[in-house]
Amino acid sequence: MSVLQTASIGLQKRFGRQRLRKILLGTIPFVVLLAMWQMNTAMEWLPPVYIPPMASIWEAIYTLSEGCAGAGAVLSMQYECLFTNHILSSLGRVGLSLVIGIPSGITLGVLAGMSRRFAHALEPIGVFANAISGIAWVPLAIVWFGTGWLTTLFILLNTVFWLIFFNTLLGVRGVPRVYENSVMTMGGGRWAIISQVYIPGALPSIVTGVRMSMGFGWRALIAAEMIGGDSGLGFMIFVSAAEYKIEEVFLGVLVIAIMWMITDRLLLIPLERWTIQRWGMVWRPD
Amino acid sequence: MPAKLVVDRLSHHYPDEYTGEDVHALDQVSLSVEDGEFSAVVGPSGCGKTTLLNILAGLLPHTEGSVQVDGKEVQGPGPDRGVVFQEHAILPWRTVARNIGHGLEIQGIPKSEREQKVQEFIDLVGLSGFEERYPHELSGGMKQRCALARTLCANPVVMLMDEPFAAVDAQTRITLQEELNRIAIATRKTILFITHNVDEAAFLGDRCFIFSRRPGKLKATVKIDVPREKRIWKDLLSEKAYTDPRDEILRLVREEVFDDEE
Ligand SMILES: Nc1ncnc2c1ncn2[C@@H]1O[C@H](COP(=O)(O)OP(=O)(O)OP(=O)(O)O)[C@@H](O)[C@H]1O
Ligand SMILES: [Mg+2]
Repeated sequence: MSVLQTASIGLQKRFGRQRLRKILLGTIPFVVLLAMWQMNTAMEWLPPVYIPPMASIWEAIYTLSEGCAGAGAVLSMQYECLFTNHILSSLGRVGLSLVIGIPSGITLGVLAGMSRRFAHALEPIGVFANAISGIAWVPLAIVWFGTGWLTTLFILLNTVFWLIFFNTLLGVRGVPRVYENSVMTMGGGRWAIISQVYIPGALPSIVTGVRMSMGFGWRALIAAEMIGGDSGLGFMIFVSAAEYKIEEVFLGVLVIAIMWMITDRLLLIPLERWTIQRWGMVWRPD
Repeated sequence: MPAKLVVDRLSHHYPDEYTGEDVHALDQVSLSVEDGEFSAVVGPSGCGKTTLLNILAGLLPHTEGSVQVDGKEVQGPGPDRGVVFQEHAILPWRTVARNIGHGLEIQGIPKSEREQKVQEFIDLVGLSGFEERYPHELSGGMKQRCALARTLCANPVVMLMDEPFAAVDAQTRITLQEELNRIAIATRKTILFITHNVDEAAFLGDRCFIFSRRPGKLKATVKIDVPREKRIWKDLLSEKAYTDPRDEILRLVREEVFDDEE
């Protein structure tokens, strides 16, 4: 038996045939894209100023890591390194916006979902704010906060908060009344209903809200960093493009996409699997 | 001693926001259920049975007439009145065991004590081995038994049950009816049991209230004089003390159905 066969059987045992097939199918488009990219470099269809060779992207990591002692420093995310610095500031903003946006969005969303009065008070402003959330705020935010952390965080929070707020609100409203009634007839008070009925009942919707807010927020952040930032991946792409360093732009775009995929796969999907899928509250894709 | 549940000239209207026409669901209903009595309620669909139950549970405020439990006017829901809802009210995000122990958890009973009680009720309704499952992994009948245990385990004084066995197969239904009878003997709870099934009403009830079509009025009351201990399906089917009142209930219900066709 060849090494390849042994490896293949080993992999199949490890992941299961179905899953392996799924992963393999998912990688096909990427492989095709990479192949075309490599072909382009070899055949010189489009010049390197438009599409840089793959190797130069790898080099860009080093160029951007000037002052860092090689790949080790880059990988260990030392703050002095330019590249990791950009990644860290983007990630830091996303993390901060989630730390602030999730609890506040859920709290106000639950309140508005359970109380008519809160809903009447918050819904119109929510619709208003949602319409201009995202990058429409950037010019105003720059006037208010200048370029830098505050502006980008403001844009990001504006997206994250309202999406989580609305999804929580809708989730709470969609929880069947009978669950609430059942807890009330067992003597449960308001807090029991919130923590044992509304929040778990709205969780499918809340998780969707978090996923959406990460998706939209990530994009809004990149845009905000381009115009109103002083660091971050968006800022890096913008500066590199102005300096015609196309390989750095490519690198930035790739990192943005990869980081998004990692958060989605490693954080959000497992969260879903351990809660609402376990409870049979979402359709299971398989 | 006054009766446990007293309903006096209770009427109920649902407002209709769209057509402006009120739905008249209950009309001047008066009835009472004694302490430890098992009462059954039958009546055509839409006659206001669930409405009555919701008012007794305190989930629906009443405006005309009075409703008293233990001599006190009902003003809201409380743990003295347990409800088994027409739709299964078991929380999808809690395991079977945690659903059944939910009432005790709300009452602040310590965990060790709770676990023992929960196990008792799991065994009682035959859900052993499914303690750690989630509701979506249960069959319809199992969900119903879980809902029953969930309400029983909270140990209410009065049980209000809304067609709890409607969605289960005939065999499970018979088992559950006999089980509920055993529970009624063991706990001496006051029970109001809504059903569409005439056999079920006569099998379980000490008394059966028959409602007319909407607006629901109390049409008749039929007494079933069979000692609880004798209520076992295989012995009862030929027992006159059971068949006579059952036929009487059936006649009264049929009257409601065919009334306007004459
Ligand atoms: N929330 C509501 N708003 C308006 N009308 C309602 C509401 N709930 C019930 N009704 C109406 O009141 C009447 C009585 O309803 P109820 O649910 O009490 O009937 P039921 O006797 O329990 O019927 P079933 O045996 O089918 O469960 C029905 O005509 C119904 O349409
Ligand atoms: Mg009903």
